[in-house]
Amino acid sequence: MSENQNPQTQTSTATTDTDQPLTTTTGETDERTRDEWTDYEFRGEAKMTVDDLDVYYGDDHALKGVSMEIPERSVTALIGPSGCGKSTYLRCLNRMNDRIKSATIDGSVRFDGQEIYQDGVNLVELRKRVGMVFQSPNPFPKSIRENIAYGPKKHGDLDTGLLARLLNRSDAEERDRLVERCLRDAALWDEVSDRLDDNALGLSGGQQQRLCIARCLSVDPEIILMDEPASALDPIATAKIEDLIEDLAEEYTVVIVTHNMQQAARISDQTAVFLTGGELVEYGDTDQVFEDPHSERVEDYITGKFG
Amino acid sequence: MAGASETDAKLVESETTETDAVAGVAVGLSAVLFALAVTALFERVSLTGSLFGVGTVTLLGGLLTALGVAVIAFGAGSRLGYVETDPDPSAGLVAGFGAAVPWVLIGGSVASQTLGLGTGVGVVAGVAVGAVAFALTVLPREDVGSTLPLGALLVLTGLVFLTGVIDPAWAWELDWEQQAAITAEFLIPAATLFAALYGGWASAKAYGGFGARGRHMGAYVLVYLNALSIVAFLCILVAYVVVQGVPGLLTGVDVGLGTGPETTILGVSVALPVSVPFVMNGVALLNDFQGVLPAIVGTFWLVIGAVLLAVPLGVGAAVFLTEYAERGRFTQVVEVATNGLWSTPSIVFGLFGFAFLIPRFGNGKSLLSGMITLGFMLLPLVVITSREAMLSVPDEYRDASAALGVSKWQTIRSVVLPAALPGVVTGVILGVGRIAGETAPILLTMAGGTFLPGSQTVDVIGGFQFTATPPFVANPALLEATSALPYQLFALITAGVGLGSNVGDPDAFRWATALILLMVVLSFYAIGIATRYYFRRRLKHT
Repeated sequence: MSENQNPQTQTSTATTDTDQPLTTTTGETDERTRDEWTDYEFRGEAKMTVDDLDVYYGDDHALKGVSMEIPERSVTALIGPSGCGKSTYLRCLNRMNDRIKSATIDGSVRFDGQEIYQDGVNLVELRKRVGMVFQSPNPFPKSIRENIAYGPKKHGDLDTGLLARLLNRSDAEERDRLVERCLRDAALWDEVSDRLDDNALGLSGGQQQRLCIARCLSVDPEIILMDEPASALDPIATAKIEDLIEDLAEEYTVVIVTHNMQQAARISDQTAVFLTGGELVEYGDTDQVFEDPHSERVEDYITGKFG
Repeated sequence: MAGASETDAKLVESETTETDAVAGVAVGLSAVLFALAVTALFERVSLTGSLFGVGTVTLLGGLLTALGVAVIAFGAGSRLGYVETDPDPSAGLVAGFGAAVPWVLIGGSVASQTLGLGTGVGVVAGVAVGAVAFALTVLPREDVGSTLPLGALLVLTGLVFLTGVIDPAWAWELDWEQQAAITAEFLIPAATLFAALYGGWASAKAYGGFGARGRHMGAYVLVYLNALSIVAFLCILVAYVVVQGVPGLLTGVDVGLGTGPETTILGVSVALPVSVPFVMNGVALLNDFQGVLPAIVGTFWLVIGAVLLAVPLGVGAAVFLTEYAERGRFTQVVEVATNGLWSTPSIVFGLFGFAFLIPRFGNGKSLLSGMITLGFMLLPLVVITSREAMLSVPDEYRDASAALGVSKWQTIRSVVLPAALPGVVTGVILGVGRIAGETAPILLTMAGGTFLPGSQTVDVIGGFQFTATPPFVANPALLEATSALPYQLFALITAGVGLGSNVGDPDAFRWATALILLMVVLSFYAIGIATRYYFRRRLKHT
């Protein structure tokens, strides 16, 4: 899968030589120059296939030749120390990195077999199908109902405007059904069903984050990307989010970045470990990665000797 | 530091003692003196009169002396160990300079003027006295340093008032060419004001038991008095204008059915039950009472027109600059240009309107030219504040919207702009306050005669005419010269022409005009603040 990265690796290690002792000893002869164990065999279909993805922020090489297949209807955890490129990687999957002017992205990401880094990709459609939940809860300063209806409304799927109401074409009922379904799916309905018109900023942090998940569900995504969704929350709210993620995996493909290794071990089916310098070091079944990692560096990281 | 460790600072202060009470009363006393000084400065309290049966100056002097004695006594008591405090080894350089400044003034003026020793000696004496005060503040322990020089200052000021060295009739001729003189009317309140500030500072320090807590209390009192004085000055200003303006405003007021002018409401002609000639009449030879209606209506339309011009342009520019343009040379240039435009003197805008707009709009001064000129003046502020407001909208909102696949423009329209609206409205409020009071641009671009008859009240809505040929809509009312309140006031004060015999009291007429201007501006403020409140509520509470 990743044997074709040799030239790339050699040039990059010449500049960042600190954490890669292996290249100096075996780099010239061994094909697998990096300490890399990413051949993960899984049953079922790959929802997303990433091939040799490089990301640069200006001159900074943030992500180095990452290749990885993400199976559908499962939870994939991305772990690693700060600055290892796991969030960068996540933001490549729905092209949110396009919004950063200095970022250049090189490589291939295929979603259901279709390349998303090519001309003519409909970003609106892509981001509808690949939703995202952010680190800190970011509901809009609007009512709970409006927060959920926002996406479908802007896509023209729901029309509750003045003209629609005048023409008796309002989708208010449909909207309310959608709001209820999304809130139920995000395990928030019971807590807020009696105050849907209250401002979302009045909710607690955990509720806000579940609202953000519900908002993400409102546009019927197939993949949900989560960037440390529980890092700003207390343990109880975190537990609720974790339960929710496991439930969501029955229907959606979830990719979650987390700092918290226990969290990754608890909720994910497979885990990818990124280490400093923006390389994917090990990717495999979560139990295997945590109990018996192939890479020594990953073992050091997981047991707390490094990172 | 050393002082703090020498005297064991208690974790729990003992209960309020008599000394605390004395210091507290001293702080209160300085607040009272401060208020008295402010009111006296604005002639709300007569210096020659009396308060509570005592002459005002005597009362001020007595209170100042008492405050000074209390401050000194507290410092001495603390030094001698009668009062439990926690002083630092020194009051510090800031306190030293603070105490030195008034003593330099006193030493200098006494030596050069009272003793008649001349300017040179005065300077030397002033510096010497200031240096002594500085040394007395900085060198001894804090409890003495921060009370003795200031207490002495208070006692001296108080005694000068008490003994009548400076009485209400006192005046100091400066012998300058312009015949300037410092009168007791100004000096006594001003001196009391500063003395009260110093007294409040010293006694607040004492109340806090000196040391870090004392300094905190001292700073707190100063900041608090500062904030209070801002409110006080504002209230006094408004009250002054109201008191002066109300008689003129109420001239000829009549209440009763059919007394007011005829107005047409929904096609029905009704006579208003109230008649306030000052705001319902123009100026005419045969009027019983003259009024400023044309100027009020002119100001109103002027502001509306300027806002209608500036807000869409300004908000649009701000959207482009924050959301679309890449930060770089270009946005920097625009930033510098808008800031420069905002600080451009209004007369320059007026001249631009006069030279550029007037020839293009009927070659005469017109309401439209005035609107556009003031709109240009308002524009930079709207751009600046809207940009700030949009920059302060968290990027998380934009990310969240983008992650839902919503396009940039829709994100701006339904997330960024609503969140930025309160800030935009704040900018417009500030700007309206400025342009509604502008005189110079109006003078050059819009103002017709100083006094307009009521029949010349501009009628913008009724002025629209539809024509069969392009441009299809015309509005001659916009192209007529009219008046506005600030210009009217300016003309009344500088020229005073045209009032004729119909205005019995020109002074009352002027003040009433000022009052109406103030009310018009304040009502624009009120509208703005209500709008902002509405948008904020929608953001926070739905």
